[in-house]
Amino acid sequence: MNAVKSGSSAASRALAVLVPLALLSTSTATLAAAEDAQWLARAAVAAADNRAAPFAVVDKKNARVFVFDATGRLQGSSPVLLGLARGDDSVPGIGEREMASIRPEERTTPAGRFKTEPGRNTKGEDIVWIDYDAAVSMHRVRANVKSERRLQRLASPSVADNRISYGCINVPAAFYDAYIKPALGTRRGVVYVLPETMPARKRFDFLRPSAL
Amino acid sequence: MNSTSRLIAALALGAAGAAFAQGNPPTTAPANPATAAGQQNPSGGPMGTTGVTPQSGGTSGSSAPTAQGSTDTSSSSGSTMAASGDTPAMRRARADRN
Repeated sequence: MNAVKSGSSAASRALAVLVPLALLSTSTATLAAAEDAQWLARAAVAAADNRAAPFAVVDKKNARVFVFDATGRLQGSSPVLLGLARGDDSVPGIGEREMASIRPEERTTPAGRFKTEPGRNTKGEDIVWIDYDAAVSMHRVRANVKSERRLQRLASPSVADNRISYGCINVPAAFYDAYIKPALGTRRGVVYVLPETMPARKRFDFLRPSAL
Repeated sequence: MNSTSRLIAALALGAAGAAFAQGNPPTTAPANPATAAGQQNPSGGPMGTTGVTPQSGGTSGSSAPTAQGSTDTSSSSGSTMAASGDTPAMRRARADRN
């Protein structure tokens, strides 16, 4: 009994140390992501690249989306689910392929500047097209395949388990309705997806020295 | 019926006639005959194609994949993209990559 008690208290002590560390690590990552997103947002607004419209920044490394108003003021942010594979390009022709034929290494969320538009998928769901031709959209998270545990992945503090989709950006439903839909779901807009395999300036013209 | 009553009745009849005359008369030369007849293609195309949404660019209905894929979709979707902030005509529903 004592052994159980002492084991239990040791576990409690370990948890007492590990949980704050995990939370600290998560909040540090979130802060870093927010800094990157806000830095990009400031540059985009300064260059009038957002065309005086609300926009969003997706930080793939930290699996978060940040929504800004037309002046670059942060409105809200949320964890997101992204394409399973690491990479910043879509495989040519992937938008025309059956889902079942898309191999795991092809399931990337492309990076860059995307002109978005509201739309619908074949199930009638309202979504925001990021890249219509490549069939990449931002939509409410879908939990219809239980084994994928998408809701749990979104809820977990870890970023590593947020890579599960075929390329689409999955957003918590409440966040989609509160922020994404008002900003991007009724009009054309811009979404900036930060790359994860190269510097941001390689994907955004307004960050290049000649544009500054 | 005295003269006052006759006068009131005449005025009432005149007012009613004026009220009827205020209605818009039917036009014999409408700007859009199809609209006037209650028939119009919602897509703006000629009659006979009602229900068919015109596809921009290409006749097959399938859009070419983006070779570049990620840097900037303006090359692939620029034909339907005006300045941001406007209300777009929604494109054909299609499956997304979930």
